[in-house]
Amino acid sequence: MKTKTKFKKRDLMGWLVMLPTLVLFAFYIWEPFFENIRLSLYTTVRYQTQDFVGLANYARVLKNPDFSAAFKNTFSYTFWSLIIGFLVPIILGILISETVHFKGLFRTGIYFPNIVPSIATIWIWNYFFTPGPTGVLNILLGKIGIEPLQWLNNTHWTIPLIIVTMTWKCAGSTALIYMANISNISPDLYEAATIDGATIWQRIRHITLPSVFGLAKTLLILQVISVFQILQEPMLLKNGGPNNASISLLMLQYRYAFRDFDFAGGAALSVMVALILIVLSGIYMKVTASKED
Amino acid sequence: MFFDKYNEKKDGVIRGYDMHSTSVRVLAIAIMVICFLIVIACLFPVVWVFLASFKDIKEFNTQVSILPSELDFSKLKKTWDQLKFMKFYRNSLYSVAGSVVAAVIFNGLLAYALAILKPKGYKFVTNLVMWSLLIPATTNIIAVFKNVNSLGMNKTFWPLWLAFGANSFYIVLFKEFFEGLPGELMEAARLDGCGILKVFTKIVLPMSRPIIMVVVIFAVTAAWSDFLLPYLVLNGSGYETVMVKLFAFKDTPTDAVSVLRACLFAIIPPTILFVIFQKQITDGAAAGAVKG
Repeated sequence: MKTKTKFKKRDLMGWLVMLPTLVLFAFYIWEPFFENIRLSLYTTVRYQTQDFVGLANYARVLKNPDFSAAFKNTFSYTFWSLIIGFLVPIILGILISETVHFKGLFRTGIYFPNIVPSIATIWIWNYFFTPGPTGVLNILLGKIGIEPLQWLNNTHWTIPLIIVTMTWKCAGSTALIYMANISNISPDLYEAATIDGATIWQRIRHITLPSVFGLAKTLLILQVISVFQILQEPMLLKNGGPNNASISLLMLQYRYAFRDFDFAGGAALSVMVALILIVLSGIYMKVTASKED
Repeated sequence: MFFDKYNEKKDGVIRGYDMHSTSVRVLAIAIMVICFLIVIACLFPVVWVFLASFKDIKEFNTQVSILPSELDFSKLKKTWDQLKFMKFYRNSLYSVAGSVVAAVIFNGLLAYALAILKPKGYKFVTNLVMWSLLIPATTNIIAVFKNVNSLGMNKTFWPLWLAFGANSFYIVLFKEFFEGLPGELMEAARLDGCGILKVFTKIVLPMSRPIIMVVVIFAVTAAWSDFLLPYLVLNGSGYETVMVKLFAFKDTPTDAVSVLRACLFAIIPPTILFVIFQKQITDGAAAGAVKG
């Protein structure tokens, strides 16, 4: 009897220790998630909900021509981030793994862009992409005799170039994860392959690449999740333009809520994006869980 | 000499025994050169900001050159004073300091309960925290801002500080570390009459320096670079942080050189931090600590 009451007191203390943090989770994560769903089903005047309208806000958001542009762009962002953002870290990881001189410098160097705040990164690249002859990239091209390019103003280039700036910032940290993975590959595998007469390329193709495949699958999903949440890059570089060529779903959410103060519309869009992201995260958890088996 | 070092290489494709072949030697050199070019590409934009900050606006808009005509630090000082940047630095410092404290205390406490105290129902809480990773912070922002307003915390640092106290990623880091701590010490302290909180502050925290270090570094960089909630909460309050100022340039026409100098000011503190802690930071990233 006595041990039982003691036990209960310890439980209570444990819950008291957890309580403050759980309140914060409720305030920032759990309650807002359900509050967004609630807001999306009503008409709102600023934050005040007025009448229950069912899914009317969703219909309204889906009919917005900006939405179809943003939705289409999301696929474009994903496509280019698979072409550029996904492959670059793998290549970086393999290349640096194969160096013996200056390896520390290479590791530190490629990670450095990661600590540059994202807003500063965007402004810097903005001046790299300046279309006139004084844009940084045009100055560099001019040195090898190439005429100034239009960069972000060319609608076909806007999204790929935004992905380039994001890759510049993020590839290094991802490459370090690949490098850790590559250095764990058993040396015996390579030695056996060498005795069998495998060339360098064959060893990369048949040993290194299959070994990082599992990790690549995981990072691929994480990357798609983060690309769906692209916001500040198109917002600051071209404000979604030119002509909606780079507008993203979260930019649209920001415009609904914090430019037009249409919180119901913004919430409806948030819920839709959140559902997509939750499905993607569910796939991510499944993939990582099966890897551990 | 140059190629001998490959004999010490114990991982990856190319090894010492490949070095008798000329084509592999050429390849090894080519890889090194490519890596140098990549590092230059990684550093160049930041070096360029530094150089471009010394141009005046006329020079910036008309001269087709990378290098400035002179390195005159008084130009930087002028922009610093004009934008009253000291104020933004001070506000960022408040914001970062409070965020770091909240990140360590709140997430540390929850992880302490989940890893060591294990009160009845802790498994349920663990699952809740893990499932919270699924809910994207970016889509929550509308309702979070509503909560901030309804508690009257708008235009204060509180919502930014406390936001760092609910981070599943930090909790996982703490929890895994705490689970590896020797249980006997804590048990002994408890038998000596130490309360639960005293065990946390006197035993758990002092033994957890390495993981606290990691969380602090993550939280400092994250808090310094954070802009969306800070912008919504602080813009127009007089407490704008460096990132709020940089983000607000989108709405306020500012000359390019001032924007660049502000970017330079924003990059300096994390760069100093990186130079000092580069080993911890790159090791933390390599350990697969995927950014939250």
